[in-house]
Amino acid sequence: MSENEEKKNEEVAAPQGGLSRRQFVTGLGGLGLGAILGGVITGGLTQPAAAIAIPGSEGYLVVDSHKCIGCDSCMMACSLTHHGNLSFSQSRIQITQNPFALYPDDLTVAQCRQCPFPACVEACPTGACHVDAANGNVRTVDPAKCIGCERCVNACPFTPSRAIWNGLEKHAEKCDLCADTPYWNEKGGADGKQACIAVCHMHVITLQKDVPVQAGDVGYNVNLRTKDGSAQLKLPTGDDGFYTPAEIAAAKAAAAAAAAAAAATAERISTTSGAAKPRNAR
Amino acid sequence: MSRRLLIGVVILAAFVLGVIYAWRIAFVDGTELLFNSGWWLVLLAPFAGVLAAGLTRRTDPVIEGDRVLRHDGPAMLEHWTHGVGTLVLLVTGLSLGALFIPTLLGTQQIWAMMNVHFVAVVVFLFGTFYYGANTVLSWRRFNEHLPTRNAFKFTVQHYGRLLGNKKYAMPPEDKYFESERMAYLLALAATVIIIVTGLLKAAAHMVSIPGAVMGPATLLHDIAALGMLVFFVAHVVVVLLPMSWPMLRSMFTGYVSVEHAKAEHAGWVRRIESGSKESVSDKATERPAA
Repeated sequence: MSENEEKKNEEVAAPQGGLSRRQFVTGLGGLGLGAILGGVITGGLTQPAAAIAIPGSEGYLVVDSHKCIGCDSCMMACSLTHHGNLSFSQSRIQITQNPFALYPDDLTVAQCRQCPFPACVEACPTGACHVDAANGNVRTVDPAKCIGCERCVNACPFTPSRAIWNGLEKHAEKCDLCADTPYWNEKGGADGKQACIAVCHMHVITLQKDVPVQAGDVGYNVNLRTKDGSAQLKLPTGDDGFYTPAEIAAAKAAAAAAAAAAAATAERISTTSGAAKPRNAR
Repeated sequence: MSRRLLIGVVILAAFVLGVIYAWRIAFVDGTELLFNSGWWLVLLAPFAGVLAAGLTRRTDPVIEGDRVLRHDGPAMLEHWTHGVGTLVLLVTGLSLGALFIPTLLGTQQIWAMMNVHFVAVVVFLFGTFYYGANTVLSWRRFNEHLPTRNAFKFTVQHYGRLLGNKKYAMPPEDKYFESERMAYLLALAATVIIIVTGLLKAAAHMVSIPGAVMGPATLLHDIAALGMLVFFVAHVVVVLLPMSWPMLRSMFTGYVSVEHAKAEHAGWVRRIESGSKESVSDKATERPAA
């Protein structure tokens, strides 16, 4: 009886010619349910399967570690522009130094390689670590989606991991080619400026558009000295960080020429001195 | 097997199978997070709840011999889907929320917890929207849950009596105790915040949402979850006390004894007997407390 009463009351409450509250609720639920199911089914039938290929980054940081003097300016600039403070822990580029190793193995520049097949992106369970199509497909982390599992940090095949854990803000982060630098009034990303490049007075870092050779470090740790004034300054430009054979030969030749010139000068002075009688000679 | 039991068993079995599937699929290489691959279920569940409510015919409380119908089938459905969903959400959510200090989960378990959280989200949304739509269809059921001007007075009398203070008599509580009605406000606020912020967090798996929105949403989600945890723990602790066992039983059978109802919910019984659907708590204010 009560059930009938309730139904009756609802029907009475309905405006003339309009929907009762129950009809409205039922219709709303049915429409929503149908729209979503219809959308999912139609979408699944009409749209091709999502492409699984990950688009390549449109920019890559490459470095010349043989030029680096380990001033850490790039690390400070990275932290400063992204977070507004000077914290090596919050830098997405890492300079590691080994005091027991000799040049050129005493210092390593560990920049993110923007891998064509990014293990960090693949490992992320929430989509926080993603390919940012709006910024040249740079691989980056959306802190809002990061749940702090650190899978990306562990997934990065390189040491130190290029995805790092921000212990202050409790999320993972990685190099975004300065696409999101709230404390730097410059456009970043693959087509913009990068703080580490801008601040490095040794010109150790540069941005290139082509995908570097992926095997080993040769594609990412390159010789930038042949393209700057190192040769003019008589600095070594060899790929191994030392002088090239040609430079050594040239240096030897120059040294020999200088020695010959010095000898000739000395001979000339000696001859001139012998011809002239000393002042105290009797 | 009664129809109600059959429905309950089917829903429970589907939920358990869903949880098992969600857990196992997390350890299979190449599979997506359910929040990514099954996002449409998060949208579907609320509409399914609303549609189910529209198709539901409720039965009002009625005295049948020596027992009173307290919970009809829909009340049990909305209670258990909301409650079990909340329990699993709290367990998985707190596990995910404790990733930092200390780290309770290995990286392998995080994906699984997220997937189980997803299954609970679907059940929770269905139950909550089913309840919400039922409430829209019948506002007096909502009013039954809201505290009245007697809230403080009845609560002091009620628990003073339970604690053995002879000075107090059991107040003529309505269908729900005034203390329950006050707790309901906490659960209501927590539920609304959790759903709004949770839908935002789920939407972040489908569309790009600015970090400026997600940051506060995540914080609010976590705070509301703690509020819900307080409510849930208090609710379960009270239910475990012997004085609550008749109510717990009624959440499975639907009925309480007339004797129990008259002792604990005199105002409610009086209302049923008078044929009134409106709460009589306000009227009961005029009655002497002891």
